[in-house]
Parts: sequence; C-alpha cells; structure tokens
Amino acid sequence: MIGGLRISRDPRAWIFLGVPSVFLVLLFVLPLVSMIVLSFWRTENYHIIQDWNVDNYYVIATAGAYVTFLIRSLVMAVIVSALCVAIAWPVAYGVIVYGGRYKLLLSLGFAIPFLTGEVLRVIALQGLLGPLGLFNGVLMALGAAPLRFIMYTNFASAIGLVYLYLPIVVTVIYLSLLNFDMRLIDAARIFGAGPFRGFIEVTWPLNLFGTLIGFALCFVPCLSATLVPRFLGGPSGTLYGMALAQQFGESGTWALGAAMGVVLFLLSIAGVLLVFRFVDLRRSGFTGFGRS
Amino acid sequence: MTSTNDSNKAAPRKSGPSRRGAMKTIAGAAAALVAAPYIRPASAAPTALRALMWEAYAVRDVIGAFEEKHKVKFAPTFFDGNSEAYNKLRVGGTKDFDLVQADGFWPSLYFREKLIRDMDYAKIPGTANYFPAFKPDAFPLLKDETSGVFFGVPFCWGSYGITYNVGEVPVEKAKSLELLFSPDYSGRLATNARFEENIALAGIMVAHRMGTIDKPRPDGKSFNPYKLTDEELDGVEKLLIEQKPLLLTRYQDAATLEQLLVSGAIVAAPEFAQVYRLMLEKKAKGELDITVDHTLKPKEGGLGWVDTWLISSGVTDAEKADICHAFIDTMIKPETMVQIGKASGCSTTIDIRLLSSAEDQVLYLMNRTDELRGMYMFDQPSSTEKWERVWSRVQAA
Repeated sequence: MIGGLRISRDPRAWIFLGVPSVFLVLLFVLPLVSMIVLSFWRTENYHIIQDWNVDNYYVIATAGAYVTFLIRSLVMAVIVSALCVAIAWPVAYGVIVYGGRYKLLLSLGFAIPFLTGEVLRVIALQGLLGPLGLFNGVLMALGAAPLRFIMYTNFASAIGLVYLYLPIVVTVIYLSLLNFDMRLIDAARIFGAGPFRGFIEVTWPLNLFGTLIGFALCFVPCLSATLVPRFLGGPSGTLYGMALAQQFGESGTWALGAAMGVVLFLLSIAGVLLVFRFVDLRRSGFTGFGRS
Repeated sequence: MTSTNDSNKAAPRKSGPSRRGAMKTIAGAAAALVAAPYIRPASAAPTALRALMWEAYAVRDVIGAFEEKHKVKFAPTFFDGNSEAYNKLRVGGTKDFDLVQADGFWPSLYFREKLIRDMDYAKIPGTANYFPAFKPDAFPLLKDETSGVFFGVPFCWGSYGITYNVGEVPVEKAKSLELLFSPDYSGRLATNARFEENIALAGIMVAHRMGTIDKPRPDGKSFNPYKLTDEELDGVEKLLIEQKPLLLTRYQDAATLEQLLVSGAIVAAPEFAQVYRLMLEKKAKGELDITVDHTLKPKEGGLGWVDTWLISSGVTDAEKADICHAFIDTMIKPETMVQIGKASGCSTTIDIRLLSSAEDQVLYLMNRTDELRGMYMFDQPSSTEKWERVWSRVQAA
C-alpha cells in the first residue's frame, strides 16, 4: 500500500505496468523535462546559451504576436471541435441505428483516410480548394470569379482541420453509442418523452463522456496544428503550432519554441482539468470508476 | 549479533550469476548495440555515403551509377533552407553526414565553426570546367582568407528574382521590387514562405527608399540585406505588414507557385526561376496559354545564391574523403550538370554550353553568370532572434 494505492506483488503486474511506465518516462517525461529546462535558457544566432532566465515567457506574454497566435488557435480549435461533434453525432447515430449488419464495415470506413499520410491529405486538399481545384477550377472554366474565401484563408484552414479530425470524432462517438443501451430511449418514450426530450435527457448525457473524448481528441491537435495553417492558412492564417514549429525550424530560436511548447502543454492540462471540474463523470456514461 | 555475523562470514559465496553481474552484462550489451554502427576497422572501405542536401539535386540515374562504381550506398537527407541544415549540423550532424550542401555565405560560417573540412580541388578534375565567374581564383566565397584553403565546390546558381505574367504586368514595372508591394495587384501577388528572404528582399526595398543602401554602414562594410539596422528592420516590418493584404498566399513549394501562376490567380511572385523555366518549357510545347518572364535582378538590387558541395568535418579518414571528392567530381561532370539543370531548373556553374541548345543557353542564363557578382548573397541574419520577432509580428498583424 503506497499512499492509499494498493500495488500488486504479482511480478506480471510490474511487467505490464513497468514497460509502459519506462516507455512514458523515456519518451514523454524526459523530453518534457528537457523542454522545460530549455525554455529557461536562451538562444543567440543558433547557439543555445545556458543562462537561466524567464525572458522567453516574458516575450510570449508581452510581445503580442504569440498571444494573437494563441487566441487564433483557441478560437479555431473550439470552432473546429464543435463542428466536428455536430457533424459526427448524426453520422455515428445513423450508423448505429440504421447500419444493420454493415455497422462494422461503415465504422471501419472512417479509418480509410488514416491509410494515407497527413501531409498527403493536406496537400490534396490544398489542390482541391486552390485556384485549379474542383470548386474554383469549375467556376473559372465557366468564366466566373474564383471563391477567394476558400483559398489560403482561416476558413480554408477550418475546412482542412474538420476534414482531418472528423473521422476520429465520428469513431469515438460511434464507440460510445455502441456501448449505450438503446432500450433506455424506448423507456423514455414509453414514459412520454418525445424524440428531442429523449435525446436531451437520456442519449446525450449518457454519451457525454464519449463526446468529450471526441471533442478533446480534435481540440488538442487543432491547438497545435502546423501543416494545415501552413498549406491552407495564407498570410494571415498563422496559428500557434505553426509559429511554434517555426522556432525549431528556420529561425532556430529553440528556447522560445520550448517555452511556447510548455505554455501549450499547460493550457491543454488546464482544459482537461476544466472539463473534470464542470462535468460529473458518473452521470456522463463514464464507466471507469467501476460499480462500487 | 556477533555469532550471526560470523555465520555470515562462514557462508560460502554463491557461484551463480549475481544481479550486479547481470546488470553489467546488460549495460555492456546495450553500449555495444548503440556503438555498433560507429565502430568499424580503420582499414575497412566505406560502405555508405550520407548527404545532407537539396532534394532537387538527387538525380537517381547519376547516383545509381556512382553507387555501382564505388560499391557504396548513397543515403541522402533533404532540407528546405540553410538554417535548417545548419541546425542539423550543429546538433551533432557532422557525425551523421559526410557531404553537405549550402549556399551564399553559409559555407564560410560552417568552416569557421568547424562543421566542414578543407577540400582538395586536385582530386576534383571537373573543377576545370567552371564558367570564369566560378573559377577558384574568381570566386572568393569558398576560400578561407587566413589559411588559403578551399572548403567548398560551386554547383548550381541562381537569383531570387521576380517571375511575372507578361500579359498582366508591364515589363517596366516588373524591373522593380515595387511590383511586390503594389496595390495595383492586390490579392494577385504571392511570396515564398521563407522568412529570411522575405525580410531581406523587403530590406533592399526599405534601404533603397531610405537612401541607406549606398551610405556607409555601422560595420564599415557595404550594404548587406541580411545585416539591417534597427531602423531598417522597423521599416521592413511596416512594409511587410502593408504587403500582407496584397498577397494571396506565401507558397510552400514550386508546384503550388506554378499552379497559382498558370491559373492566373496571381500575376507575380519572387522565386528561384525554377517555375519560370518549367513554364517556359511547357509554353514551348504548347501546353500553356500564358507567357511569363523573369527579372533576374530588380533595379533596387537582388538576392543571389550559389549552391555548393561541402565535406563534413566528421569525415576524418582518407578513404572516406576520397569517396566524397569522387562523388562531387561525378556531380559536376558536364553531362551530369545538363541532367541536373533540367531536373532542378537551376543554372549550373559548370560551362555546359557545348552540350546545350541555343534556347537552353538563354533559358539557363549561361551567358549571364557575371550578373551574379552584383547580387547580395544569401546569408545568415544578423540576429535570428530580432528577425524572428519581426516575422512573428508580421504574421500576427
């Protein structure tokens, strides 16, 4: 018993828990610690100077540009995640209710985009939304002006992010609905609830945890998105992740990049804690607490 | 207590493997595994040649023939910009790469920081075929002033000029950098995504407008758009922010730029003349309707570059160095350079006029190599931190 936590003496438990723990320490904790350390140093013309200071955090907080990137990314991530959830719910619900024996096949279909690389998908989308793409190509062939708002704008980035992460959200909500007892809807109906009330009071709350997981799995990568704003965003579409990647690429300002990474990490943690603060997991379809 | 100790002393030691012994064995095996790729007999012939290079120059046929002849495996790693390559080399890349490419003033920086080693021109007979502008005595960028040793071999060259649609932009306008900041073409301009060249090109424009381009500089040297004063940088920031609404995008690759120009979505963009050449070739074949032209050096001044081959300082044994020299010699052979010029769309430093048609001589600027002397070479920004802040503010504006 360590701090109230019961740890098995079975060596197999140590192996099963130990291997991923070592993996996490080596590939997650250590890089994170090194990033935190680097964020308190500075760089000067591609040289790392081990001079402890908080200048990088001061720059992020006061320079304005990085706060702008962060706000842009937060707004983009919230909009894209909300859109993905809004689209994914009816899709996943439709598969569950009307999928019949093709349910599994349909759900596997959502994984097809993952068989190609993210870069390939984004570049393909760039072509599709670009001046010679499906929409603008046809419009220009007909002598009309191209739709500028889908070419290299934040709107184009939003389309790209929805396209990239929608399959994940659909899959997560589908899995949540798969474990949901549909007879509860029938019960609600018997007691006089209409379809809307049944959804609001039964289906939605009991699948809230799955929905939140889907939202988070879209929100977090959107917050740090690099490729999509780079290829689709245009001159005013720089997001936080893209600016962060730039510090480790062209400009070589690694210490500032590390500080930006730490800020992003802390923000993500804060987001998760916020969810735990306001959502009662026991009433949201979460089964991880057991039956006790 | 005493008796217990005595009994312990009397107990025979276990002769089986101890935990400490096992740990030592595991640690030894792990160290051997990690070190294995780096350990080989001093007399063994090199089996691999690792290059940090631009993708456009990796011509498969030529490299395949070299691998066959020298029985080595060529392993390239590609990069997009000098700063990216520099970063890779600085974090231990000299042990990971034998050959390196860079342009402008970057090779001299590499040499000063001992990231590359000296080079023996006598082992590269192909250097005899350079255009006069790139002969070792005429091209000081790759020679160490103090020791007199050469540390690089010129390969391809070009400028960062303006490619424009002849039907949309008058030739007179296209001769000036003002074109890239002209509201007349709002939403129909694009620039490269590279922050150094965006700032440097705007720096030329700002210094020209401020009249500081011909004035004495704080460092006593002539004007260099990569070493801007704070006032000039402020001007650059303002100019780039003003330019933003005029841009459709900052293109990431040549294919995107070509698509933008072909579709008519943009009418002008600064570029390395690669897209210009590709489009001219398509035009000649009747595959394109629009006509493009390229301003090599705008009247305010232009940026130029010479890609070079360098040998990493990690190459210490003579045999590996010989293979590196042999590879470079293969790459600068006139026949190879014709292929590379076609594949990459770049001008060559090797005189290949005897192997080229009159059209290609014009297209690949073979009679204009002397113009490079008047251009500002790609360089390291005076302060990457200051430049990064400027670029971030421009992006956030």
